[in-house]
Amino acid sequence: MTVDMSQFYQVFFDEAGEHLANMESLLLDLDVEAPDLEDLNAIFRAAHSIKGGSGTFGFTDMTSVTHILETLLDKLRKQELALRPEMVDAFLAAGDVLRAQLEHHQGGPEADPDSIQAVCATLESLATGGPAASPAESAPADTGTGPGAAAGPVRELAVSFDLPAEVAGDPAAVANLVDGFCETVACDVLARPSAEAPRFRAHVTTTFADAELRDLLAFYADAGTIAIEPAGAAAAIQDDSFGLFDDAPGVPVGAAEDDGFGFFDSAPGAPAQAAPPEDAGFGFFDAAPGAPAAEAADDSFGLFDDAPGKPEFSHATPVKPGDSPAAIEAEGYGLFIDAPAGMGLFPGAPGSRTAAAAAAPAASNFGRRASDQPSVEVAKGGRRETDKTVTSASAEASSIRVSVDKVDQLINLVGELVITQAMIADAAGYLDPIQAEKLISGIDLLARNTRDLQESVMSIRMLPMSMVFSRFPRVVRDLAGKLNKQVDLKTVGENTELDKSLIEKITDPLTHLIRNSLDHGLETPDRRVAAGKPAKGTITLKASHQGGNIVIEVLDDGAGLNRERILAKAREKGMNVHDGMSDGEVWQLIMAPGFSTAEVVTDVSGRGVGMDVVKKNIEGLGGRVELESSPGHGTRIAIRLPLTLAILDGMSVGVDGDVFIVPLTAIVESLQPQADDIKTMAGNSRVIHIRGEYLPIIPLTKVFGEPEPAAFDNGIIVVVESEEGKAALFVDALLGQHQVVIKSLEANYRKVPGISGATIMGDGNVALILDIAAVTRIGLDHPAKRMAA
Amino acid sequence: MDNSSDGSIVSSGEFLTFTLGREEYGIDILKVQEIRGYETPTRIANAPAFIKGVINLRGVIVPIVDLRIKFNLGEPTYDQFTVVIILNIGKRVVGIVVDGVSDVIQLSPGNLRPAPEFGSALDTRYILGLGTLDERMIIVVDIEQLMSSQEMALVEAAAA
Repeated sequence: MTVDMSQFYQVFFDEAGEHLANMESLLLDLDVEAPDLEDLNAIFRAAHSIKGGSGTFGFTDMTSVTHILETLLDKLRKQELALRPEMVDAFLAAGDVLRAQLEHHQGGPEADPDSIQAVCATLESLATGGPAASPAESAPADTGTGPGAAAGPVRELAVSFDLPAEVAGDPAAVANLVDGFCETVACDVLARPSAEAPRFRAHVTTTFADAELRDLLAFYADAGTIAIEPAGAAAAIQDDSFGLFDDAPGVPVGAAEDDGFGFFDSAPGAPAQAAPPEDAGFGFFDAAPGAPAAEAADDSFGLFDDAPGKPEFSHATPVKPGDSPAAIEAEGYGLFIDAPAGMGLFPGAPGSRTAAAAAAPAASNFGRRASDQPSVEVAKGGRRETDKTVTSASAEASSIRVSVDKVDQLINLVGELVITQAMIADAAGYLDPIQAEKLISGIDLLARNTRDLQESVMSIRMLPMSMVFSRFPRVVRDLAGKLNKQVDLKTVGENTELDKSLIEKITDPLTHLIRNSLDHGLETPDRRVAAGKPAKGTITLKASHQGGNIVIEVLDDGAGLNRERILAKAREKGMNVHDGMSDGEVWQLIMAPGFSTAEVVTDVSGRGVGMDVVKKNIEGLGGRVELESSPGHGTRIAIRLPLTLAILDGMSVGVDGDVFIVPLTAIVESLQPQADDIKTMAGNSRVIHIRGEYLPIIPLTKVFGEPEPAAFDNGIIVVVESEEGKAALFVDALLGQHQVVIKSLEANYRKVPGISGATIMGDGNVALILDIAAVTRIGLDHPAKRMAA
Repeated sequence: MDNSSDGSIVSSGEFLTFTLGREEYGIDILKVQEIRGYETPTRIANAPAFIKGVINLRGVIVPIVDLRIKFNLGEPTYDQFTVVIILNIGKRVVGIVVDGVSDVIQLSPGNLRPAPEFGSALDTRYILGLGTLDERMIIVVDIEQLMSSQEMALVEAAAA
């Protein structure tokens, strides 16, 4: 399925720009001493949204930066780390970098790769090495902070565990696991598991406590086989030189401490000892003898590779693979291993300096190594980008962003204008057509212009759902590749029109839902086959109007939700749950803030952001999220949105002096009944015989508590169809067909049974829009259903 | 005053007074959005009699409550002098039909006397107090509480 994504770029640019601005203002208002958790959450969500959007459009350079940003923010909002002023600085710098990248994608100058990497390294050092900056732990590398220490300090561990045989036998699954693991903790894989030798051994540098690590690993392997031992400091040095200041005596790094490096191997005589202990983060220095690493310090960034005899080189290129032995280390740093999730900052293999250089300006497919055909991907990404630069430049000029309030105001004003025009036309009807000829022709012209104006204004707001849906094939494809899953994405009801503001606001929630479905819902192909399902999963996106609501559904045929696991997790979180909860209540739990049953935080999902944001966003629109799940068969998530401003094609009918709108979609036909066709059933119920079918007659007056009409021969039968089946509505007259703007009755009043909303007619009066399903229910008079209606 | 809700003690001290039958009522002027003539609303089926229906107020659907019917005061006649006061209650816009708007007056909390408890159509819960101006008694109503109450049937039972 090919979709031209470029038409949506502008939307992303606008959104990302907004998120960035929002993030910045929140950051600037943040109280470092006592940060408001809600603000941190808001910043996190902004970063998360940018990540999601950039991932969707393949701007992976932005994705990688936001991912790192998000990792640190996540720790802050979970209060694993305390906020420090330098973090705010780093966040702001990251915001600047993202903005530069955004501008680059919009055709601006390329973002400075140095500052990008500087920012990434700072953020990472703050996230992972943060605790190491406290005085007691300023030089942990050579002492190897005791294994008994609580969670927090960076520790080096030898980790090994057995993989289940069926997983170990599958190279793709192994690669996935290993990459996933390495993304979560910095690790150096010593032995990759295979079918013959299912034991996985790795050298891990982490801040996790043993118990946390075990929990993490339990996802991969049988808990019984996990072994975690502190690694010897010497071994660490030998193995990968990880995190060590590999200095020779006399290296002038004295000035380098400005911005913090945690891991100094303070060899005798090295000025590095002068490093102030409060410095943030850590640094990876590999200063060859005599290299003036000092210059590089200003930028507070992690990776230095100073070759001897290059005094002018400060921090222009943090890693030049192949340039010196240090390049090998770049590979070895667990933090920079290119993970499948696009984490990798250094796509070049050691020695392939050109590859790195080529990939960097393209700035597109960084680190998407895990996808099956990286070379194809990169080429594609590069080309797209140039295409897009051209289109976005023109798109910028041809669209403006206007606040929805202004559009609403415009729509209301035009509505008033239409009414005024109708009044003038009415008044002019009394004039002598010959004397007032000019006036009357002017009024006719006014009528036409007003109608055109109204149509144009209305069309501003309405967009088809395909605007949203067509974003997703790409998301699904990329994600499926990352997760090694096979997915078929189906979309239904793309032409359902939705108000623009709603379209904008459901895009993010829908993206979350689809990512969730893919990541948590669908199983891997082998598991699917084992469960007797086709290897290829299906995700269906469906939009429809239902009972006065717009329903957008995300359906998958995956494993379904795991009730036990959700309950267990909820208990762990101290939520108020009990075993007697209905499934529906249990499913609602997953929409609690911070709730995630995923064991591993990945680029895709598992941070527990998402469902709560989805719920918050949808409820903000006056809608609700419904979850249905059946174990082994899949999950259905439905977003039900009220028709706040959707336009409806309707037939206006007159009943006893009142005007009602019947949605055209519900109308099958309308006819003038013949007395012979109407039969009575059980005395007072009437049915009409239409082409071999007997349909119940529902007089609208009865629905609304008025007496039934005495006779049925002087009126019109409107045959309607809804989820309640077919019925024949009896009305006094058909008045006309209109496009009506649906107004909410509930905004100022309340829900009325049988009514889905209201609209304003051309004469300024209010007409109520019928909810045909509810009307049918009431009309057929099932007492129980009547209560529900 | 004990029965009034704490949060909504009026601060402006200015009240719009209107008549219902021969009684005079006062409401916080800050809750009033505008005053307009009566126009026939669109009926809503199965609604209580005092809810006259909804009108189109510049594109907004606004329910209209006839307080005269609600409180059994005076004859609910609709002519060119019948007035609708459009109120802003929280986020909602509601119109009330009254016999006429008379004045904007100043009343300090000290001028308010507690209303005696007895079973009238208007629950004393919604009366902030009785004010005196010259010889007139003004029943000062906590209109926000009143309009949000269950008995006005303006809000969803479940939502309240």
